[in-house]
Amino acid sequence: MPVLLIKTSRPPAVANALKPKRRPEVDVDVIVIGGGVNGVGVARDASMRGLSVALFERNDLAFGASGNSSGMIHGGLRYLTYDPQVTESSCRDSGHIQTIAPHLLFRIPFLVPVESRRYARILFELMDGFFEAYDGYQPLKHGKSHARLTASEVKQLEPGIAGELVGGLTFDEWGIDGARLCTENAVDAIERGARVFTGCTVERIERREDTGEVMGVAYRDRHTGKAGRLKSSVVVNATGAWAPITAAIGGLAPTRARVRPGKGIHIVFDRRLTNYAIMARTIDGRQIFVEPWENMTVVGTTDDDYYGDLDDVRSTSEEVRYLMQGVARVFPEIRRARAIGTYAGVRPTLYAFGPSEDALSRDHAILDHTRDGAPGLYSMVGGKLASYRLFAEEMTDILSERFGLGVPCATHTSPLPGGDAVCDAIKLATRLEIDAVAARRLVYRHGSRAERIAERIQQRPREAVTVCPCEPVLEAEVRYAVKHELARTVADVSRRTRLGLGACGGMRCAARCGQIVAEEQGLSPREGLRQASSFLLRQAAMRAPALGPEQARQEALAIASVRAELGLGLDDPDEAEANATAEARVEATA
Amino acid sequence: MTRRIVIVGAGLAGLAAAWSARRRGHEVTIVSAGPGASALGGGAVDDVPWEQLVRASRALGIAPRARPLPDDVHAFASDLGAWNLPEGSLSWVATIAGRLRPARGCDRALLDLASLAGARVLLPRVNRMSWDADAIAAGLTDDPFARAHRITFLAADVPVLRFDEERRIADGDLALRHDAEPRLAWLAAHLTEGLARASATAALLGPWLGARASQAAALSQRVGAPVGEALLGVGSPAGLRFEAARDRLLDALDARVLVDRVTTITRDEGLAVTLEHGASLSADGVILAVGGLVGGGLVYDPPDHSAAADLPAGVRAPFALSLRAPVTLIANLGTDALTGEATSSLHGPAIETTAWPRGNRAGTLESAGIRCKGVRAAEGIMAAGDVVAGRQRTVLEAVAAGIRAGAEV
Repeated sequence: MPVLLIKTSRPPAVANALKPKRRPEVDVDVIVIGGGVNGVGVARDASMRGLSVALFERNDLAFGASGNSSGMIHGGLRYLTYDPQVTESSCRDSGHIQTIAPHLLFRIPFLVPVESRRYARILFELMDGFFEAYDGYQPLKHGKSHARLTASEVKQLEPGIAGELVGGLTFDEWGIDGARLCTENAVDAIERGARVFTGCTVERIERREDTGEVMGVAYRDRHTGKAGRLKSSVVVNATGAWAPITAAIGGLAPTRARVRPGKGIHIVFDRRLTNYAIMARTIDGRQIFVEPWENMTVVGTTDDDYYGDLDDVRSTSEEVRYLMQGVARVFPEIRRARAIGTYAGVRPTLYAFGPSEDALSRDHAILDHTRDGAPGLYSMVGGKLASYRLFAEEMTDILSERFGLGVPCATHTSPLPGGDAVCDAIKLATRLEIDAVAARRLVYRHGSRAERIAERIQQRPREAVTVCPCEPVLEAEVRYAVKHELARTVADVSRRTRLGLGACGGMRCAARCGQIVAEEQGLSPREGLRQASSFLLRQAAMRAPALGPEQARQEALAIASVRAELGLGLDDPDEAEANATAEARVEATA
Repeated sequence: MTRRIVIVGAGLAGLAAAWSARRRGHEVTIVSAGPGASALGGGAVDDVPWEQLVRASRALGIAPRARPLPDDVHAFASDLGAWNLPEGSLSWVATIAGRLRPARGCDRALLDLASLAGARVLLPRVNRMSWDADAIAAGLTDDPFARAHRITFLAADVPVLRFDEERRIADGDLALRHDAEPRLAWLAAHLTEGLARASATAALLGPWLGARASQAAALSQRVGAPVGEALLGVGSPAGLRFEAARDRLLDALDARVLVDRVTTITRDEGLAVTLEHGASLSADGVILAVGGLVGGGLVYDPPDHSAAADLPAGVRAPFALSLRAPVTLIANLGTDALTGEATSSLHGPAIETTAWPRGNRAGTLESAGIRCKGVRAAEGIMAAGDVVAGRQRTVLEAVAAGIRAGAEV
């Protein structure tokens, strides 16, 4: 048998007989690979319990599934029928996340329209009972009980809903910005002594030849090319869909950390189109939804096995059409709405043969690779955004036992950065003389830490300038993201602040953001412009599949604008590479 | 023989066609539904896309060079009176993104850095969206052209805005205020002082120097140093200045202008042009100068967009291109990509992979249009400007094609 599967949510029984104490010859106690929500969750928890931690992230925090999810801390509704315990623990943890990061959560009421067809009445009653059962768990996450609506009430609440209905049901969930959640966990870990390296890929997990024990990692900074090593006796593979690859660089067979890579895309619309998130079904019977999320609307999601490049996951027209078709049956107006982009991520679903993607459990497991001859190496596989804290706690419990710490987890009571106090956005706006919307968004993203950005503005009033008018994002926040939140590129800033993700697709802000990012890091302004144009091209590629014909003109304008101001294809890395090769060839000939 | 020519579109290509047709004594009617790409232009006057110039010069290891232009293009530009179009040298303009780029010529308000070697250029700090003087100055100073010609840029506090609301008004509105003499004098006084304080030798401002005509020359004269605008790619007041210059030129040419939309062009005996509102026109020749997608002349109209619930299976892309005239539309994407073709309607450029340009290859959105031999789209019908498929979409290309269409129609 290949791996030891530690079952979830019970106090972990580590089958590791020897418990190595901290050794003096290591640089850090634990190395975590992966800057997704699980990785930063472990880094935070372990740091809080007194371990020294280093975290490596190949791309950026929340680059993968964590930053490209539906943005919900849901209560595990889907587990209610066969494993209500999972629902209970999910709801309880949703409550915990509200305690530690109240600023990041926002209510999303869901509406399930029940179509009139054969047995619809019976179905309606069954669903009503189902949601009644769910109501029992709602208090755990401060959610509201479900409501049973008549067909005309449904149409009154959501006039855009089409078709013959027997009624509808509502239930309550919470939305969250996954990228912010990751960032704040990482920032907290750093403030508790962890070192976090973004844009740094681990090239090799070094192990002793005789015992196979983990000795440390060899890494490389992907921006500067600088290489380094860090010694540690424990490596946690929290790389999500990359988990098999990470196992492979640790000298294990990729199958030792199997996940099922399920690609999911979302379509983004420029505004809130509905009051409720509305559930719909695709042509093959899968559940999808159209969801008002922050200041926009999100339609999601697909779920397909994906074996392509995880660093460059893109949406396709087929996927967009598949979602649109499903949503349009219930909510036809979606076809007239203005799509402004898509995003895509790959879920690391717990590996299992047989069941279709949807029937797979979204639950998680921790693999101790001692059984594979690699003591000290652990893989976190599976998981979901909503249960990240629990998953991290389970992993850290194992570490705690290994290091003999005996310190209990406190990540559910100790607030994340910005979650400790309430900050009044309107007062902030008045004080700083900034737009109230900008202040409100700032407070959403940073909670009480918005005050720190306000301090910057008070010291340097010039930084109150709006960089991204769509979101809006102030210059001070961009600088803050680079200085204190590990952003290294325009795309990183965009993940943390939502800069450039609005209707203009970054046309009006990417170049300026690039200049600021470059300046803050002491890079050349040209590097900033290069980052901006690569961000714009990536955004354009993600936008194209979702564009309606009405937007073709705007897209043509976007091209014209980039052409005129930045030039297209002048600085793309391929070209730089080609030039370098050509130069090398010339030198070789000479 | 005097011929009746209907020109559809009042952008650059249409204007050049009108100018050229009037020179030959034809009777010209321009039909325009509203402003398009020319009115949105940034003021760079290119003959070839500037990235091509830069790439070519990199490959050859020499500085980009200006190519000679036909005499009639120079004649047209001088009649229009909105551009500086030097005979044998390139202009270099600063973009608002902080980059220097070559252009064959430029709008008269833009600061041409080609002749400013060794200059110290001041950028006033102005509290307006998308004008970050410090960042732009840093970017420009770092540009290879600036380094090669020892041009430095510095940001300094010089008042440009007089009233607080000017922080938020559109570039065009601010530019319009500088059309007024006293306001320009006010700005000149502050700039003169600012330049002296910073010991700078030139000043670069945002796109704010005049909406009816460029005020850069007048301002430079008052200040005693070159003052001009940076290039804003799209939606700059340079477009307003073009529209003003165009209206003056059309007046001078005595061309008839109709504000209307052409719905169909049919050929029977002669050509009949049906308008949306007005009476239809009969013509001996029609010139289509309706622009590309930016201009809005070509409308992407998906075959399945209005389909109620479900999309038909098997349609490759949600787009179709349509124009109701007896011409052939084509998406010219080279040999490695889809080539679709159908008279007046084109289905299916796979937009997610082809919309944006890649390297040297133009994207669908900037290459789809009317198939043409030279400027001839069909018997009696000419096409000029961005509406022509697979040709470079530059200002001077549109002008040259417009002039040719006006001459050959």
